[in-house]
Amino acid sequence: MNGIKVDINHLKKGEVNLGTSIMAVNFKDGVILGADSRTTTGSYIANRVTDKLTQIHDTIYCCRSGSAADTQAVADMVKYHLQIYSAQLPPNEKPTTQIAANVFQEICYNNKEHLTAGIICAGYDAKNGGSVYSIPIGGSIHKQEYAIAGSGSTFIYGWCNENYKPQMEKDDCVQFIKTALSEAIKWDGSSGGVIRMVILTKSGVERLIFYPEEYQK
Amino acid sequence: MSDPSSINGGSALAMVGKDCIAIACDLRLGNQSLGLSNNFEKLFQFGDKTFLGLTGLATDVITLSETFRFKNNLYELREERSIEPTTLANLVSSTLYEKRFGPYFVGPIVAGLHSKTNKPFICGFDSIGCIDFAKDFIVSGTASDQLYGMCESLYEPNLEPEDLFETISQALLNAVDRDALSGWGAIVYIVTKDNVTRRVLKTRQD
Amino acid sequence: MPGLGFDNYQRNQFLSAKGFGQPMATSTGTTIVGCKFKDGVVIAADTRATAGSIVADKNCEKLHQLAPKIWCAGAGTAADTEMVTQLIASNLELHALAQNRQPRVITALTMLKQHLFQYQGHLGAYLIVAGVDPTGAHLLSVQAHGSTDIGKYQSLGSGSLAAMAVLETNFKEDMTKEEAMKLCANAIESGIWNDLGSGSNVDLCVMEVGKDAELYRNYLTPNVRAEKARSYKFARGTTAVLRESVKNILDIEETVINFTSTADAMEVDA
Repeated sequence: MNGIKVDINHLKKGEVNLGTSIMAVNFKDGVILGADSRTTTGSYIANRVTDKLTQIHDTIYCCRSGSAADTQAVADMVKYHLQIYSAQLPPNEKPTTQIAANVFQEICYNNKEHLTAGIICAGYDAKNGGSVYSIPIGGSIHKQEYAIAGSGSTFIYGWCNENYKPQMEKDDCVQFIKTALSEAIKWDGSSGGVIRMVILTKSGVERLIFYPEEYQK
Repeated sequence: MSDPSSINGGSALAMVGKDCIAIACDLRLGNQSLGLSNNFEKLFQFGDKTFLGLTGLATDVITLSETFRFKNNLYELREERSIEPTTLANLVSSTLYEKRFGPYFVGPIVAGLHSKTNKPFICGFDSIGCIDFAKDFIVSGTASDQLYGMCESLYEPNLEPEDLFETISQALLNAVDRDALSGWGAIVYIVTKDNVTRRVLKTRQD
Repeated sequence: MPGLGFDNYQRNQFLSAKGFGQPMATSTGTTIVGCKFKDGVVIAADTRATAGSIVADKNCEKLHQLAPKIWCAGAGTAADTEMVTQLIASNLELHALAQNRQPRVITALTMLKQHLFQYQGHLGAYLIVAGVDPTGAHLLSVQAHGSTDIGKYQSLGSGSLAAMAVLETNFKEDMTKEEAMKLCANAIESGIWNDLGSGSNVDLCVMEVGKDAELYRNYLTPNVRAEKARSYKFARGTTAVLRESVKNILDIEETVINFTSTADAMEVDA
């Protein structure tokens, strides 16, 4: 290990991998997270209806990519921390997305030698509205208007950059994510299945699911 | 061959008969192909009617036989009774699994009769303590492949003690004759509710 | 005393370096499946255990009890599935006693995944966890590294591909108990016939809401060994014996108590 070249793409033999195309986008009323639903072990699809959108708090979710075991463990830890933290908050106050994202970042950074976890943390809170944080492998943190990650994301960097518009309407944003993920799924072998979305606004959580026969057109 | 459990050689075997069990082993101790001893017994008695067979790396066979002797002594002092075969099996299993990431290179087998009901019990283990409960026979050691073949063909259920002796002896003798690392003498114990018979077999010495 | 010992680790590494590799631990090779039905869940497993290419056990038990109504099927390293399952079963019972409540499937799953994650995949346990609790029927799976999955039907082990093919084609929503049992048995049979690491019989366990769990040991036995046509019994005296020693265990001590005497009859009312 020379401090510069770090093998970040290592996966332990037989480890379950979230090949993954995931994204989260801010829009007018909040934030929408989207993900494919494929998990693989080697070339075998271990689960074709995975839910990679994990609830961390009432209106804070995360998208997981990398090792399934690592990301689930980290998500469970953050969830636990936020439970303890929110219990100490005054009534009617909830943790912000920023707090959640920073807990993610801290765990990912402190254990970066052992973790293969690329996480997008997104949520809605009364103070900041919708916000999106990307915590890639290595444990850095990046606040963004929208974030894409996972192996499938490489195929849609250009498209997203060209078509993203700030403060979209809800339906436009759903369409944006659906189109982006359908392209990622099309080109990436380790992404596939259904497209799952979670819409986080002040009115709470709304879940959407899109089946291949719809999004593949 | 490139495996610690086949450096010293040796095999063991247990069978269930009608209200009886038999357990047998060869007597060889070697260093690779060089024979060192023809008097290395691999069977250890616990209480009246329970036996433990240990094959594999000789240093671990000795270490474990002493460990189990020690644990059995403590058990008998605490419980004021001798250990049951099933209890010994669980003791062996947990002792081996304690060394999950640095195992003893042994293949233990347990055979005995329940002290009260005299119900036969046999079982075998892998090196990290996974129990193989069998109703018929258990094999272990460097001649285990040959023993599997012999037992699958020779074994039949509900043999009387004397017939069980012939079957287990012939299975062992003919198996170890096809294993360069086993042989050099053999011992068989036949356990019935009334007595334990120990027989030293006449074997090839090559 | 508690925990696992690494005393032999350095010695064994030295032995490995000298060219003496590791011995083969018993693996369950295995096909295991689970499937939900209308008001419950079924899990099933084959019964073959292998050590390399040798069939170590022709009728082993891969269905483990975690709690009275929570069972799990194990694939991977046989010792690990057994021990991890025993440990979690113990802790689950203590937990149930402390809380004075029936244990939940999600509790069992969380305990399993946290334990397996701690060992970073070195414990080779791949489990399908199923059961019924006050929140309903559940079917989940855990992999050695600690990741978990939820699904209405699942398969794991070397025969999981063969079994999944059957599950994918024949699974229906809201099946009856009988349909689910049939489907699981078919999926395991597909593993038994088409996967070399799986074989022998089908074990099955049904957990239905509001009922006791039912274990069907050897639910199907499609590989019964044909009876030997002739006996290989040897004539007594075939084996040459050098020495014999007999130790008698039973010292017979007999006391006869006679009940027939009417003089000793108990007086009920004097």
